[in-house]
Amino acid sequence: MAEPPAFVINPGSPEPIYRQLMEQLRRRVASGALAAGDEIPSVRELALSLAVNPMTVSKAFSLLEAEGLLERRRGLAMVVAAKHRRARSQAERTALLRPALTQAAEAARQLEVDADEAVDLFKTILQEVSR
Amino acid sequence: MNALPLQTGNGLALHAVTPQPATSVAVRGLTLSYAGKPVLDQLDWQLLPGQVVGLLGRNGVGKTTLLESLLGLRDVDGGEVQLFGQQLSALDDATRARVGFVPQQSQLFDWLTPRQLLSYFKSFYPKWNETKAEGLMSRWEIPQDQLISRLSGGQQQRLSIVRALAPEPDLLVLDEPVSSLDPVGRRDFLRELVEQVLDRGTTVVFSTHILSDLERVAFNVGFMARGKITLQAPLSDLMDGCRRIVGSTSRIDAYVRAHGLKVLSRRALDGGQIAVLATGEHGVLPEGLTGDRLGLEDLFAELTQ
Repeated sequence: MAEPPAFVINPGSPEPIYRQLMEQLRRRVASGALAAGDEIPSVRELALSLAVNPMTVSKAFSLLEAEGLLERRRGLAMVVAAKHRRARSQAERTALLRPALTQAAEAARQLEVDADEAVDLFKTILQEVSR
Repeated sequence: MNALPLQTGNGLALHAVTPQPATSVAVRGLTLSYAGKPVLDQLDWQLLPGQVVGLLGRNGVGKTTLLESLLGLRDVDGGEVQLFGQQLSALDDATRARVGFVPQQSQLFDWLTPRQLLSYFKSFYPKWNETKAEGLMSRWEIPQDQLISRLSGGQQQRLSIVRALAPEPDLLVLDEPVSSLDPVGRRDFLRELVEQVLDRGTTVVFSTHILSDLERVAFNVGFMARGKITLQAPLSDLMDGCRRIVGSTSRIDAYVRAHGLKVLSRRALDGGQIAVLATGEHGVLPEGLTGDRLGLEDLFAELTQ
């Protein structure tokens, strides 16, 4: 089985770590990388591999459970909830990108970077991260 | 299954669940002056079991003094410290053995080897996790049989950490524990800390100027300024609830009142405007005000003035 891409956290961002984790799990489910019934890493595994406080991981998982993305099973690893059977449509996935891009657009405007240059930069970054 | 202490660690928001959880550390009215200058000023502070608290403050604000006072290493002018419900002045040996300390400057015995040092300390503790000590010594490549005075700063610091972790403490006090470690060494140490918290529910308080480490491992942060702990809360709550609002005094005051926000800091900017750090349920910012969410570094700057 191919190793799924590791979770990445960026300390120093205004986004608290628990939200960064939530967002990454949501995106994986949206893209179909994680589907209904798939196990996610335990609090212990994730806390140790990321060197992050276990309560932070546990907070992210609990909120995703409340959101209906994850399901808890007694004594077993949490799984992606049954309703997430298929990847979401291209349009729905693109819509999920909007908040991050809105933030970037706002920053570009404040820095007075013109639109073409900003779009070029985005394309470059897309290539960098898919390498 | 992990044994996460989910009921603890709420810091500010802890509403008394009965029975009141015992504190790992309780400080009341701690006061200490140094050369006529107050360093600790009627300082009150509590750490609950299983909490991992990052202690933040500007250089020279007294973090080391505070941490050393918790361990009875400073003569204070007034106030009291309790560890696990016992007065510091009357601590019994069993309780003393539950506390581990990694000082800023390692205070090891230079004339011993690491092997001799650890076997010396082992004799003082009822519990001593030999497997853990041996494992860390080899993983962290600390030469066992070389004089401590010949070890590098990083090796001495790692040895000091091994010495503190081996007795399986219930309270760990860490004063800049990673200042001499490289990024890989720091990450490995943070994992070790996370494992302690997972396996033993250890209460941890640590100071560091490396904010990215602190953000990873501390669920709660305490800010120290003017001789007091001015604010302690879960870091995620602070990051979620705080905005830095910039604009004219009158507009900001009206906005803060309208949304019932709590102002945590306020400072004047050039040109008659002010910057306010406010927490609560923010609304849409009115014309003339700008607002930012802040990362830990900016929160630190605003809250430790």
